Order: sequence, then structure tokens, then C-alpha cells
Amino acid sequence: MVNSWSRLALAAVIGLVLPCGAAAQEVSFKDPVADDKGPGTYTYPTDVVYKAGSFDITAFKMTVKGGQAEFEIGVNTLLEDPWRMGSGFSVQMIFIFIDTDGKAGSGFTQGLPGLNVRFGANDAWDRCIILSPQSTSKVRSEVEAKAAAMKSAVLVPNRTKGTSRTITASVPLTDLGGGDPTTWGFQVVTQSNEGYPAATDLMTRKVNEYEGQHRFGGGNDGECDPHVVDALAGKGTGDPAEAQAQYQMLAYECNPDGTAKKLATLSMVRK
Amino acid sequence: MTRRFMWCALATTIMLTAAAPAEAQLTLGGTVYTKFLWGTQRDEGSVYGFTTVPGEGYGDNAQGSEIELLVSARLGKKVEVRSRIHSRFNQNHWTNFGGFGGRNPAVEPGACTAGDCGEFDPRSNQYVKLRGVAVTLTPGYEWIDSATIGANDFGQFDPFVIGRIRYIDRDNGSGLLFQGSAARRRFTWDAVRISLPRLWAGPSFNTGLFHAADGAYGLQMRLAPNPKFDVGWIGQYVNDIEIDSTDHNLDDGRKLRSRFHNAVVGVKASARPTPGINLSGAWYYSDSNSSDEFAPANFSGTSGFSPVLAGRHDDQSWKGNVDLPDFLTGGLMLRAEVFSIGAEYVSMMAARRESDVLLTEGHDGAWLYPGPSNASFGVFPGNPTRIGLGGWYGNAQQVPTINVDNEFTDFDEPMAETVIGWKGITVAPTYTRGAFDFNAEYSYVDYNTNWQAFGNDKLPVSTTTYPVNELDTGVGHNFRSAYAPFQDKTTHIFVVGAKYSFNIGRGVDLFGKFKTIQEEDLRLNDARFLPYVPGDCGGGSCTGRVNFYSAGNSTSSIYGNPTVVTVGGTTGYQWKPFSDIADDDRDLDYRLIQFGVGSQLTNDLHGTFVFERYDATLQDGNTAFQAYNLHEMASGDHAKNKLILKGRYVLQGMEFGMQYEYNFGTYEPDFGSGYVPQTASEAIATTNNVPLGSLGFSGRFGGWNSLAKRDFDQNRLKAYMKVQF
Repeated sequence: MVNSWSRLALAAVIGLVLPCGAAAQEVSFKDPVADDKGPGTYTYPTDVVYKAGSFDITAFKMTVKGGQAEFEIGVNTLLEDPWRMGSGFSVQMIFIFIDTDGKAGSGFTQGLPGLNVRFGANDAWDRCIILSPQSTSKVRSEVEAKAAAMKSAVLVPNRTKGTSRTITASVPLTDLGGGDPTTWGFQVVTQSNEGYPAATDLMTRKVNEYEGQHRFGGGNDGECDPHVVDALAGKGTGDPAEAQAQYQMLAYECNPDGTAKKLATLSMVRK
Repeated sequence: MTRRFMWCALATTIMLTAAAPAEAQLTLGGTVYTKFLWGTQRDEGSVYGFTTVPGEGYGDNAQGSEIELLVSARLGKKVEVRSRIHSRFNQNHWTNFGGFGGRNPAVEPGACTAGDCGEFDPRSNQYVKLRGVAVTLTPGYEWIDSATIGANDFGQFDPFVIGRIRYIDRDNGSGLLFQGSAARRRFTWDAVRISLPRLWAGPSFNTGLFHAADGAYGLQMRLAPNPKFDVGWIGQYVNDIEIDSTDHNLDDGRKLRSRFHNAVVGVKASARPTPGINLSGAWYYSDSNSSDEFAPANFSGTSGFSPVLAGRHDDQSWKGNVDLPDFLTGGLMLRAEVFSIGAEYVSMMAARRESDVLLTEGHDGAWLYPGPSNASFGVFPGNPTRIGLGGWYGNAQQVPTINVDNEFTDFDEPMAETVIGWKGITVAPTYTRGAFDFNAEYSYVDYNTNWQAFGNDKLPVSTTTYPVNELDTGVGHNFRSAYAPFQDKTTHIFVVGAKYSFNIGRGVDLFGKFKTIQEEDLRLNDARFLPYVPGDCGGGSCTGRVNFYSAGNSTSSIYGNPTVVTVGGTTGYQWKPFSDIADDDRDLDYRLIQFGVGSQLTNDLHGTFVFERYDATLQDGNTAFQAYNLHEMASGDHAKNKLILKGRYVLQGMEFGMQYEYNFGTYEPDFGSGYVPQTASEAIATTNNVPLGSLGFSGRFGGWNSLAKRDFDQNRLKAYMKVQF
């Protein structure tokens, strides 16, 4: 009996230690603080649940361990769950776009509905992981309804959680198509979890010219402006100059009727 | 004539078309929400599980549907209009068959509950209400960003001062909201005038006779010179006015008198000197004055109900927070909070629910009222439990007012509890490593309401300016009770919880929690407040020699002497005479153990199973105390078990959800000694639902406290279907 317990304890210790010692592939980027202004002009909604820094990405890390791709997104505020979503956070929603093949023209150049962005031909995305405080079923259902053509490329982790200042989730590496993540291109954008989205929006919160209680401001009342509050830019080092690169990347032009004359075009950040 | 009419119609059409803004966009959306309630309490008063509002019903059996239509339009960049057209559950049972027929209360008087008035009562004839009508202007001026005229939940402010307002809907409140900014929004301001809700925003839960000009005025300013620091100021003034009935000269209009006014100011600041340190603090000061001309000057010592204090009071509240997101090592976060909420802090517009102003998780929703089965005034016939043994789900949210609102809720929702008078400290570490999450909390709570004779031994204890609501007895914290005549209380809350997510199938979460609350309340702690002189009761009877703690004032008005009874040949006191300061002592040893498992069972279905076991050993005074003579005594051993099954299924825009609970437990009373138990007569057995001949005793006000062991058993289910379109 003693031997059994000893073996069990030894196995537990080995089980805990071994994964720590195993080499893990890792991709990480930094993002400047206080660049949560979209193209440089966006302002937060006015309700008190939208704390300063809530949509400000500070870091991104992807680690491959045990066949799982684990994602960590740092934001510039302590996460809170005022709407009792049960995930440890409420107001944020993160989209992680990945160019896994690096081939020009391969993948999607249009963004997901509600983001009002596109990607350059050399930065077309092959997979997108959505980190939302909403239930997995709800997000998947919304993807099926509003992004049916892209649903096979959109992954919703079984579990997404927020603790401290980090939102984490994981998906099987095989669902990303396998390969070496260090060669992939990444783009991470922040949006806000909208429980009552417009009929065509994938649970994204609107950006208008003037901020409202639950709407971002500083954009356009039409659909020509990127509904993206923060994104990776430049080399992803966190250099303050990358804020300006982000503003340029998210630059857009509108027609008088609010339709897009030039959509913001995102690029991937690569190691 | 016809041709003239056609030309006229054409011209009108052209004019209307030309006048309509070219950019106007009408958006129409909505939600259908259908709810099913089933439970073994067999209540059917309404399609909600809980309310305290007189004349409204509550129930655990119902099927009903409601719809809301969201209508909004933008008239260009500068004008936006929105509204909702919303039917309400109320008593609209499917069994009403569309609201036809029913009892006409004009012909057959009587309160309408359970939909029995059919088409004769709006609450059961599928009425539709106008909600959320607001126009938002964004004129593009430099000095103002926007003006919103109409409905709002006013969630832009501060829960200590002007909290998010929800009654039945989140936009029941209406007013004028102006917002502006400068220096690229480093400085922002919000000014508001809210039409004072006549249903609850004043003494005795109303705003008097003249209400149309009553208002709450607010202003907040915030300066954030850089991302590391911000400071804010907020103030509000509530003005509840009445027409001066002594003004008999109507030729110059009518003069006004104040019924209630309330001013609150606050300052707050937060700093983030490094990414690993967050500091914040807030301080608030309130002044309130309830006129004894238009509102109660005081309340009976043990039965006052009001959302505000009577008379004039001022006090302050403050709290300070330190958050260390990366404490010592990655994954470990330490949060700490010190707080003091003034005993006489009054903010009429403070958050009543759906806010959580303290870091502590506080008490549990399973224990909301004094009685063992969550009944209030259950010692008297006709006051059974409303929501049942199971109470609400989860832990409470803390709000800085006694004007707590848990109305029109179901058991699967969180409970809000008042923290008026609380002061103390909370330390809450959390640790995350991979799939493992750990959280803990220790809170020490002392009370600004620890006092004797309501804090003024020169006044009678039987009249007070403090509304005691359901009083502070029973296992839990009665959600809107902050005041007691005598209190000397401390509370310790300790929580540890953990969760591990297994990467099996679509993921399996295992979670658990242990919580304990240790609470002591000496209540009356000075012998000079005893109701009768020492030795008044002796030799088998009491002489009634009243003890006065100050001139003319005695607690004998609350704790009257017993009569002598003979039961089964035994003669003695009907209840123990209140002769010892220990007679009302409270000592609570409370434990909760919870564990559960949750999993995404299919792409569309998520299921969770939770088991909760509550054990409470409570000494809550003896028969001398009698739970302030008004509530069921709860001294003894409590055991409560909750088996909870939750599910959620999503199909495109439709969501099904359900929560089933099987709640069972026991209560073994222990009321101490020094009295002769009586046996329940046929009348008592019938009116109090206790076994004939079972032991108990009749209290000072005629209520019956049973000594019989109680076994509880409650099944209940809530299921819903929500479709957004």
C-alpha cells in the first residue's frame, strides 16, 4: 500500500515537473500602452464598466505545449466581470488572426463582420481565434450565422478566461493546421463584447463619431471606420513608435453616405 | 374633388420626402423571452419568483412570454432616437388564455394576483409598455459632446452617489444627461437631472403627493492627465418637494416645502505608478433631511420600513484599494481593500442592485430572511417563505444603501445586500497557473452601527429615526437590514476556492469552494439597558419593576416580561425573562462547501452540476430575545443542501437555459432554557402550519415559535427561451 502511494506521488511529481522542463515553442509580441485609440482618435464608451485601459493590448504570447496552442493577451487594466459572464471578464473581446502559410493571396483578406477591416494580400489570414466572455455555444452560433463563409477558419476555444490583466485560451495546434508558429504572422485586435450586436456584426460594439454609454467614439457613424480599438503594429516590440504605425494601419476614408472609400488594412506582425 | 385630393396628396408626399433627412435610418430589432417556472411551493402570484411590493404576487409556477421591440433611428450625425416597446411578464400566465375574462375588481373587490383579474387588470391582460424613449443629440459644439433627453440607466456615474438604476427594466428612469470633454478627453464632465422615481426615491418608498417636479441633480468631473493617474469629483442633490398647504394666496402661484433632500459629494483618485501597482481611493459625504411634516418623524423601534433615515443626518463613507497584479511571482495577484460605510450615509440615488462596491463576496443568497426557510415575519400566520429554502443563487452583491432592490427576480439571479455601517478590511489573493485557478479571501468586518439604544441613550428605544426593515436576525444578512437597537458585532469571512480545467473532450471544469463566516454580536452589552431591575422575576413570577436606562426610557417596551403558564402540570414562564445581557447574544458558525463540474457537452450545449452544503450553528438569542418578537427564531442547527443542474443550449439566435434545484435540509431549534414550552393548539397548528400538540411557545406579540425539528424539501426549476432578432 505504501509502495502504491509512493509510486502515485512520484508519478504526480514527474507529471508536474516534466511539462515544465519540456521545450515549448513560443511566439510573443509587445504593444505600446495607451494606444487604445484605434486610428488615433477613438474614445471609450462612457459607462463606468469600461475602465481605462480595458481595450489596451500590452502583450501577446502564443505557446505550444502538449499539442495545445495557448494564447495569452495582456491588457492594461485589471479585468473585472461586472456583467457576471463567468469568464473573469466582461467587456473585452479579442480576435487573433493568424497567417499560417505566409503565402500571398492564400486565406482571407476580408475581416470578420463588424470589424470593418481588411487584410493585405500578403497578410491574408488562415485562422482566427475569438476570445470572448460569452459562452462557446453562443459565439459559435454567431459565427455560423454571420460569418458562415469563414466559419471553418474561425476557432472558438472551449474555454476563455480572464484573470488579473491577462485573457487566456487554448486550442488544439492541429486546428491551426500544424506547422511552426514561429514562422507565422499574427494580428491581434481588441473589440468589446456586445450582447446586443447589430444584425450583421459578430458581437462587436459600434464605433460612432461621438461616444455613447455603450459605444466607442471618435469614428464615423457609418461602417467605413475600423471597429478596432487596439491592434499589434510594426515589429510588435512595444516601442512607442508602434502606436503611430497602428494609427496609420487603421487609417480609413469614408464616402459621404458612410460607406467605405478606403477600409483600414491590417498587416501581420511576424517574428 | 378626387383630382384635387390626389394633387394634395402628391404635394404632401413630396414635402414629407423633401423634409426627411436623407441619412435617416430606421433600425428595428427585438427579443422574445419565454419563461417557465415550476416549483413545489405551488405559488402562482406572478411570473417572477420574488417581490416584497405590496399587492404584487410572486410564484414558482408559471409559463409566460414577453416581447420587446427595439426601435431606433439616426437622423444624420447629430440626432438619434431610440425606444422600446415592451410587454411584461407580471401576471401574464399562459393559462390566462390571452388575458380574456377574469374577475372585475370594480364589481368584485379584492387584490388582483395570479392573473385572476384577466383582462380587467393591466398586469394580466398582456399589456405593452413604452420604455426607453430617448433622443441623443451630438451637435458638434466644442463645449458639449452630447445631450441625451429621456430614458437612461445612468450607468455613467458612481454606485455610491448615482448608481445604475434598474427597477423592472434598466431604463425605467428618465432625465436629461449632458456630457462634455476637453483636452482630448483628458477632462470629462457629465451633468444630469433625473426625474425622481416616485415609486421608491423618498421616505417610506415614495416622493409624497406632489411628484412631477421632484428631481435628482448630478455633476461629475474627471481629470486623467496621463494613463497613470486620474482624479474625479462627483456630487448629487435630491430635491423632493411638496406644495405648501399654508399658502392660501394662489394668485402668485403655490409655494413649496421640502419633503426630503439629500446632498452627496465625493472625490476619488486612482494611480498606476507601475504596471504592477494599482492604487485607488474614494471618499463620500452625505447630508439628508427627511421632513417630519411630510414623512415619518421616526419609526417604531422594531418595525420601521423606509429607504432613508427619518430626520436630518450626515455621514461619510470611504474606501481604499491596493491591487498588485504580479505580486511576488507571475500568476499571483493580491488585492486589498479597507472600507468604512457610514451608519448614516444616505444616497437616495446610490446603486440598489447590479453593482458590487466592496471586494468581499459578503454573504450568500441562500440566506436572505430571518426565518429558517427564508420567511420574514414567519412567526405570524400568513407569512410563509416567498422564495423558499434555496434562496437566491451564489453570493451577494454589496450596495451602499438600505434601499436595496431585489424585486421581481428569480432564484437564479444574484442577491444584493446593504453594506451600510460596514467597516473593515479584505485581503484577496488569486493565483493562476495554466488550467489551475485559485482564489481566497479574508475579510474582517466591524460595524459603524455598533451601538446601544440606537446610539443615543437619551432617547426611547421604541422610537428611532433608523428604519430597521427585516431586522438583523437569522443565519444570513437580511438583505436590507442595517440597523438594530443594540449591536456589538464583528464578522469574519474566509473563502478559498479553486478550479481546474481538464482538456478532455470539449473541456471539463472541476471547481470547488469552502467558505466560513464567524460572527458574534453581543447586542445589548450593558446591564443598564436591561428592561427590568435585577431580581424583578423571581420566585416564579415577575413584579414588573421597570429599569430605566435614562429618564423615562426603558427597553421593557420591547422586551416585556412573560406571564406564568402551566403546561402539563409544569408551571413557569411563558418565555425567559430578559434578565441577562447574554439573553440576546448571537454567535454564528457558518460553513459552505461547494463543488461542481461543468462541461461543453456538444457544440451547442453546456451543462453544469453543482452541489452546495451549508451548515450553520447559530445562537441567536433565547426566548427572552425572540428575534425582536417579530421573526421566527433561528437559534439551533441548520443544514441546507442544494443540488443544482444548469444547462444552456444555443441554436443560431435562440438560447435555451435552465436551472433546476433540489434543496433539502433540516433545522433543529435550540431556544435555551428558563421557560415552559407550550403545545400547539388546533388553532395554532392550523394557522402556523405546525403539528398539533408540537412544542413551542407564544411570543410577546402572539407569534408562535415552534420547537419541532423541521425537514425541508424544495424542488424548483426555471427554464427560459430567448430569441433575439
